[in-house]
Amino acid sequence: MLNSRIFRTISFQLTALFCLIFAACLVALLFTTYLTTYAALRTQMQTDVRSQLNMLAEEANSDGVDTIIQDIKERTASAKNSGFYFLGDSSGQKLAGNIDSVVPVDGWSEGTVGEAAMAKIEILPDEDHEIWGEGIHLSDGYFLYVGEDSYRLRAAQEAIVDSFLWSAALAFVLAVAAGYLASRGFLQRIDDINTTSLAIMDGKLKQRIPVRGTADEIDRLSANLNRLFESNQSLLESLKQVSSNIAHDLRSPLTRLRQGLEEAKARPASNASYSAAIDNAIAESDQLLATFAALLRIAQIESGSRKAGFKDVDLSGLFERVADAYQAVAEDQAKALEVSVPDSIHYFGDGELLLQMIVNLVENAIRHTAAGTRVSLSLSNSEAGPRATIVDNGPGIPAEQRGKVFEHFYRLDSSRTSAGNGLGLALVSAIATLHGIKLTLEDNCPGLRVVMAFPPQR
Amino acid sequence: MTKQTRTVDKMTPPDVRDHPTEPDSAGRPLHVTNSGIEKARIPAGMKILIIEDDARMADYVVRGLKEHGHVVDHAANGKDGLFLAAGERYDALIVDRMLPGVDGLTIVKMLRATGNQSPVIFLTTMGGIDDRVEGLNAGADDYLVKPFAFSELLARLGAVLRRPPISQTKTVLRVGDLEMDLLKRAVTRSGKAIDLQPQEFKLLEYLMRSEGRVVTRTMLLETVWDFHFDPQTSIVETHISRLRAKIDKGFGKELLKTLRGVGYTLRAE
Repeated sequence: MLNSRIFRTISFQLTALFCLIFAACLVALLFTTYLTTYAALRTQMQTDVRSQLNMLAEEANSDGVDTIIQDIKERTASAKNSGFYFLGDSSGQKLAGNIDSVVPVDGWSEGTVGEAAMAKIEILPDEDHEIWGEGIHLSDGYFLYVGEDSYRLRAAQEAIVDSFLWSAALAFVLAVAAGYLASRGFLQRIDDINTTSLAIMDGKLKQRIPVRGTADEIDRLSANLNRLFESNQSLLESLKQVSSNIAHDLRSPLTRLRQGLEEAKARPASNASYSAAIDNAIAESDQLLATFAALLRIAQIESGSRKAGFKDVDLSGLFERVADAYQAVAEDQAKALEVSVPDSIHYFGDGELLLQMIVNLVENAIRHTAAGTRVSLSLSNSEAGPRATIVDNGPGIPAEQRGKVFEHFYRLDSSRTSAGNGLGLALVSAIATLHGIKLTLEDNCPGLRVVMAFPPQR
Repeated sequence: MTKQTRTVDKMTPPDVRDHPTEPDSAGRPLHVTNSGIEKARIPAGMKILIIEDDARMADYVVRGLKEHGHVVDHAANGKDGLFLAAGERYDALIVDRMLPGVDGLTIVKMLRATGNQSPVIFLTTMGGIDDRVEGLNAGADDYLVKPFAFSELLARLGAVLRRPPISQTKTVLRVGDLEMDLLKRAVTRSGKAIDLQPQEFKLLEYLMRSEGRVVTRTMLLETVWDFHFDPQTSIVETHISRLRAKIDKGFGKELLKTLRGVGYTLRAE
């Protein structure tokens, strides 16, 4: 289960790979060492053998063969000397030395001396011992051979090969162990992420991945995923809220529509009353269509696609147009609409949407206040960007409800008898968000103050 | 509650509504019988082509227009529509934007490129500001977003059918004894000067230019206020009632008439 999966984790594979690369480097290093050591030892052996051979050959040439017979005898008698010697006459008969016979070939030879040559009893049974050496023909057919036991060289060679194998084996064990250890922790954390994701897919939206606080990459990944889950959860919750609001808010007009039609059918009546019932049905469907239209418009704005059409907008002009259009409406309802807008404040945005935002806010101030209310509209420019306020001295919005009025279908009048679909401020909020405008509702003591803080341009 | 045709973006037929609704002073909807439509005086016997792929929507519009005495041809796709529009002379074209084959925008561009100047009204589910501008730039005369009230279509058809030539040099408009001097920006009725606010002047000018024709609330919002969405309060009603008080009150005969559920018209008789 966990153990078998460890070997398939990326961290295990990486660790193992690094260990293998390390092992390969080690092998290459040891192989080079082997070659160098072997060559050096061999050269040294060769030099040693050759210097003895040359010395003896020179002695024979100058002082005669008999002198070196004596010399060889001395040398073989000495315990310190580990060399092998052979001196034969032209018929191959041994004159001196500790080897019985040697094939009389000039030059360096390895292991060619053969079993017959093995004079030292103690080394004979050991096949690791071989005599390597060099022979030379002296004058009058005499043949001189000097050799040495190659054991030292071959032992070194073997030691190096052995250490190769041990190192490789150790490296392999270490690779597996290190990979296992590194992966176990890693796999545990990946498992945490997997189980949390599965739980969330399963509907347990509140689950989060444990974070260790070590700020390594897995920790950062977990923290980011947690943030993703967080925003998913809140989006889903608001979606749920909106859908249930839509269901609720569309049910009432649909019910009224149906009741009206049922009533008209049940009661035989005049053409005029039928016609009135039809008109009522049309009015109810119009309201439903208008609600859908507003929802679609909000969705369209929230999608951000209109950003592509942003242009330079005469903000002052927009405020003046709204004021011109609504002053008469306010007067008719015995309210006052005051305006204070300096000329030529421009802004980069969607003119139609900004106009609708201002219209909705002004209409809100006019419609939800009593006669005698003063509504004032002002715009100013500063370093921090344009700033607009719409202030009234009406009933205002209780502090605890100010955050909610921008929600879809939220209405202060919970009986929902007043006109409007409860989407006006949701639309305002969507437009403000699209433009990066900070929208705040404040207490005007009494009344409501809506502040639109436009972000500075570019 | 007020109607909201202009802000609808993706509604599809058959959401055609026969009645726009009109809020009364309390802002509540008020509905009337369709007597208003009979009063919407569109010259009968016009030859109109509708290019619309939605059969129910097309049938609805064709029947309605025929009832009003027009001769109506229908094309169910862009190719047939373009063929008919190019081959015959029509007094007006009603063109859906999204059509199989050749789309509405291309049809209008091609017609205009060949010198065909028949008035065109776009019907569309695409109500964004960019779509509207695009449609008008292509050479359409008006732009109506689905779902729409049939009376709205009739009123707009009336407006494009009788649209005066662009090179209008008239400086004085007259409807009965009501006179508007566009240069002096002065209005008189029966020789008596009437003082109008700038918006009332603009409103009256549009009504006088559309003399005898029906103008809807939405048409007024678009032309006088340049509002391409539907406000919740009664801007139009407020300004109309103020204008009426100034031009009709005390003069006996009423010039500015309200067609319940349809719109307004200014006429002398």
